[in-house]
Amino acid sequence: MIFCTAMALALMAGAARPVDAGAAGTCGTCHPDVRVQFERSVHAGEGASCADCHGGNPGTLEVAAAHGGRFNGRPPRRDIPLLCASCHADVARMRPYNLPTDQYALYQTSRHGQRLAAGDTRVAVCTDCHGVHEIRSPGDPASRVARRNIPQTCGRCHGDRGLMERYGKKGDPYADYLQSVHAVALLEGGNPRAAECSSCHGVHGAAPPGVGDVHRVCGHCHEPARRHFVAGPHRAALSAAGLPECAACHGNHAIVRFGDQPLERVCATCHAADGPETDLGGKMQALYTGAREEISRASGLVTQAAQVPLDVEDYEARLEEAKTYLMEALPATHSLSLDEVERFTVRARSIGEEVAAEIHEKFSNLRMRRLGLAVFWFYVLLTVAFLVGRRRRWRRESPP
Amino acid sequence: MARDGRTAGILDRCIDWLEQRLNLTEIFSALSIYGLFYSEIDTRKPLRQALRDALDRPLPSYARWPRVLGLLVVVLFVFEGLTGGLLALYYRPTAEAAHASVRTIVRDVQFGWSVHQIHRWGAQLLLAVLVLRLLRFFYGGLHRPPRELLWLVAGALFLAGTHLELSGRLLTWNSLSYWSTTRGLEVLFDVPVAGDLLALFVGGREVGDPTLLRFYVLHVLVLPLAFLGLLYLNFATVRRVGLSPEGGEPAGAGREQYRAHAYNLGILITLIFAVLVTLAVLLPAPFSSEVDLFATPAGVRPPWYLLGAYGFLEIFPAWVPRRLSATLLTALLALVAALPFLERAPAEAGRRSRRVWILGTALFVLWALFTLYGALLDLPGGGTP
Repeated sequence: MIFCTAMALALMAGAARPVDAGAAGTCGTCHPDVRVQFERSVHAGEGASCADCHGGNPGTLEVAAAHGGRFNGRPPRRDIPLLCASCHADVARMRPYNLPTDQYALYQTSRHGQRLAAGDTRVAVCTDCHGVHEIRSPGDPASRVARRNIPQTCGRCHGDRGLMERYGKKGDPYADYLQSVHAVALLEGGNPRAAECSSCHGVHGAAPPGVGDVHRVCGHCHEPARRHFVAGPHRAALSAAGLPECAACHGNHAIVRFGDQPLERVCATCHAADGPETDLGGKMQALYTGAREEISRASGLVTQAAQVPLDVEDYEARLEEAKTYLMEALPATHSLSLDEVERFTVRARSIGEEVAAEIHEKFSNLRMRRLGLAVFWFYVLLTVAFLVGRRRRWRRESPP
Repeated sequence: MARDGRTAGILDRCIDWLEQRLNLTEIFSALSIYGLFYSEIDTRKPLRQALRDALDRPLPSYARWPRVLGLLVVVLFVFEGLTGGLLALYYRPTAEAAHASVRTIVRDVQFGWSVHQIHRWGAQLLLAVLVLRLLRFFYGGLHRPPRELLWLVAGALFLAGTHLELSGRLLTWNSLSYWSTTRGLEVLFDVPVAGDLLALFVGGREVGDPTLLRFYVLHVLVLPLAFLGLLYLNFATVRRVGLSPEGGEPAGAGREQYRAHAYNLGILITLIFAVLVTLAVLLPAPFSSEVDLFATPAGVRPPWYLLGAYGFLEIFPAWVPRRLSATLLTALLALVAALPFLERAPAEAGRRSRRVWILGTALFVLWALFTLYGALLDLPGGGTP
């Protein structure tokens, strides 16, 4: 019923645009800027009105009457989570939208919620992340909580060094994150599955992961790496040393891809630069890069062969398989077992070598065409010589 | 020997049997229409006698190089027909399937690559021969009356040949062929009347799926038939006006029998085939990726025979309407066609008109210069020259 009315009002607004119509009701007459913001929100489309949060009487243009009754003006920050929860924790009310109702409960477990309960109103409340009047659905790319926008939304406070120093926090996690492989994938690569802040810290129950939980958090996405890490010797050693597992080598926010930088250097931050552990790191990396180069050499040959063109579909499929093995080799390095890494790199490498050898053979077959050309010309010249001979003989025999 | 005799006997009896029911000589004489035999064949005689007569037919001694260019056109055209027929067995003229079917031909079909490359090189050679022929006609004075028709037909053959190449070029439907055809058509669409007719036939000024099918019809049906018709006109004219002696050779002197000519023809065909195979093996055209309608590869330009027209149209400043410059281009083309009619009357045919020689040479040099200019336009590395 409310929805129908809102729709009818919205349609009327679209048709005639009277000043006082629309989701904001008569409030918009005196608060036009807020009305504009509110009408962009997901709430306006679902029949929520100003009075649902602010109280008062939206049916009158009399200021005293409109601001009368249970009008609360600008709700204090302390009360905002509870105010939002009055609808969003209501299971019956959220059911048609298929929305979760545990945000408020989660929020109370978060650092934000705990500090708010302790009376600190500078911490994030619902409106700091979701917006005030212009609350958009997380699926809306313009929303502050759309995946691509989350780093910036969190960064508004957590990238504010002055604010963070009051809580004894050093550094700038937002700036660090922007350098990370995750940020590049999310913001430049457009990969919507790449990790943003909430992927590791949680959404409404945001909190830093505990030291012993880091592998679980990273393991959400990096499951094979986690498996090898848990089975390997590093886990026990790192927890004994009180180091934050994955983050001990990879860093926490500025997570970079090791790529081609020497792994020994990373190992040497804890181990002796000439020790067997550092040596192992170098060997694992050599296995990986060797296999990768073999595959890229074979890929180059496949591209070259496809341009000839030769039939390369089988090679392409086999190289995909080799790349899968190579992809497995990278997480296998977390086992710190050379055999474990080699199990994958040797397969990747041998497929690359096989493909390269077979393409080379096909190329040499192509070169055989030139040899065939020489044979062909031999027969051509033979035919021409035969024809010339016949012509000469015929001329000799024929009467002048 | 006995076996040979029996085989020959069977062949003879087959010919006799057919001859009583069908005029074989008439069928054979159809070949003379396309230049295989220089003169008419008496269709009233039985086949064997007609053949013997034809082989013993005397020919002028100058029925040899370089008077083989016309025959070379026929030989190359036949090669194109044969290889084109083989390609058509696998080719599929739709935008979805064209590129994949070409890949099938050059990759999976036994010797498909060589048929494809021979077809491609044959086309280039054919066009080169057609240009050479025009030059030889003009500088040999062979365009003058009573051979004006030969000149016109030679020009029309060149136009038909370029259109065959242009339509065939698109059929491979790869990024290079698509964009060079598109750029070539941009030149052609501006030509008054002909451009509009072309746009009407192709179904618009953009190259798309319907264009591919229509170019296919043009390439395998309409244009080859037109080409054959022109070849007929060409040899019919030669039979009427005769081969022309050159360089002081007296007409009809030093007679040669036709049999020697037939051997020469055999040698010519063998060598042309060998040259095509060699080009196909040593200089194969690269196999390009499928057409991407949203990305023009760098440095794509119209095909070489349209570069002259392209360069000519591009040299005008932007405020000159394309229609005007294209009309001027058409007028120049008409001037080329009119060259023989500007020569002196047949009575003075012994001497050439100096003015026509200068005009023709100027037109040719202009064409060469504009082709060079068109080739240098928008090079991938830099801007305009």
